[in-house]
Amino acid sequence: MTRPLHLLREVLDHEVVDVDGVSCGMVDDLEIEWTPHGPAVAALLLGPGAWSRRLPHWLRAPVRRIFGSAIVRIPWREVARISETIALRSRADAWGAGALDRSLSKWIARLPMS
Amino acid sequence: MGKAAEVFLGILTAMGGFVEIGELVFTLTAGTRFGYRLLWVCVLGTVGIMAYCEMAGRVAAVRGRPVFSLVRERAGFAAGAVTLVASLVVSLLTCAAEIGGIALLWQLVSDGPFRLFVLLAFAAFAIVVWVVPFQWIERVFGLGGLMMIVFAVALVSIGPDWSEMARGFVPRATSGGSSRDTLLYAYVAVALMSSIMLPYETYFYASGGIEDDWKPQDVTLNRVVVLAGFGLGALLSMVLVGLGASFFAPHGIDPQAPATAALAASDALGRTGLAFALGGMFFAFGGAAIETCLSGAYNLAQFAGWPWGKHLQQRETPRFTLAWIVLLLLAALLVLTGIDPVQVVEYSIVASVVVLPLSYFPLLMVAKDRHIMGSHANGWLSNVLGWFYLVLVTLAAAAALPLFFLTHEGQG
Repeated sequence: MTRPLHLLREVLDHEVVDVDGVSCGMVDDLEIEWTPHGPAVAALLLGPGAWSRRLPHWLRAPVRRIFGSAIVRIPWREVARISETIALRSRADAWGAGALDRSLSKWIARLPMS
Repeated sequence: MGKAAEVFLGILTAMGGFVEIGELVFTLTAGTRFGYRLLWVCVLGTVGIMAYCEMAGRVAAVRGRPVFSLVRERAGFAAGAVTLVASLVVSLLTCAAEIGGIALLWQLVSDGPFRLFVLLAFAAFAIVVWVVPFQWIERVFGLGGLMMIVFAVALVSIGPDWSEMARGFVPRATSGGSSRDTLLYAYVAVALMSSIMLPYETYFYASGGIEDDWKPQDVTLNRVVVLAGFGLGALLSMVLVGLGASFFAPHGIDPQAPATAALAASDALGRTGLAFALGGMFFAFGGAAIETCLSGAYNLAQFAGWPWGKHLQQRETPRFTLAWIVLLLLAALLVLTGIDPVQVVEYSIVASVVVLPLSYFPLLMVAKDRHIMGSHANGWLSNVLGWFYLVLVTLAAAAALPLFFLTHEGQG
């Protein structure tokens, strides 16, 4: 049984969780492509490059200077389940999400009781 | 632990964590300047924080989702980002105020350089948050804060005018004062309400519910803890108003510096009273310093979708960990600039009231939404209180800055 999916209410700005249950960001934007059946979601877009586009015009340049404009693109076919969160079929690092977390994590792991 | 013990502990923790530096300063100021006439504001503010913390806790228990993620889901990126930035600024200011307060306390006990104590406080809290599990931070600082009950004992032994005190629960305007008095009365009323309803408390409370792994069946636990714990905590804030009126005003002391509160306890109860008062204030300010820096990190992580929480290892939550460390450090640096800590308290309270409507509105929208909350959505009482306080804090927010400047930063 299928039901209509409300992209703005159920996907955009929802948390993305990878196959290990690790949070890897929010759906900051959606990529739509044109198919023979009409428009379809091609990918989830995460990262400063995606969310900075949603800010007022005058804020975009300074925000990108601080946060960069990287975009993590996760193809729609990787989405396993849409509920409270958007669950992926794969691990976050396969798509380059959470790269900063991993490098920071190595530093923190050197400290006692981390 | 049995359920009853858990509830009891929750109540005590909420009670001990209720009063922090802004509230201490403004309850004493209210009592010293206006006697018992602002006691009604304590009741008004307490019902408000109860209503909104109950909602936040319920959302966390029912959905298991942090409030700030829901804020973004419901309000969208831009509106959510404004709320986030505002809440971060206020968390930072409040954290700085608490750290400054603790340094002042230590300075009172052992005569040393203020800046050294600020650094010590930063180091101590960073280690505590790093090492101690969430539940124990909550308990140690919450229960330690209960030492402030000594102020209630002091008040009883001083023997205030009880009937005059009772009349303070009925709202009255200043009688026959000049317009300057009226402005000052309004300013202190708004600041007192803001200090009781600090915005970080609501979000921290909900994130704490997730840290403690609340489930939908915990909505009753949430309600009991909020009603009983905050209710008892509010008694403490009323006691402080009473001390301002019955001790500081007659002695002609203006209790601007937070540590002066301890004078009342030592005057009435000697050295033991002093020790309890200082200890209680240390735990209350320390708990709030930790809660504000964690609260800022929670909000940021929940908004951005980072792994977060003290229940995970620090290396599993790198950006969240970095966020609370940076917030704590910035707060300490702010105090180190040499800015008057009492002034920081005042700024944090005024900034808080301006932010309150921004933090309450999305929360109310989420809590009353049946699509999100199902059968646990707001009932009529939560909705009535929610809308009433939203209007009230919006009015207070609009009035806060003009009053702040018209009264020359509360100096009259």
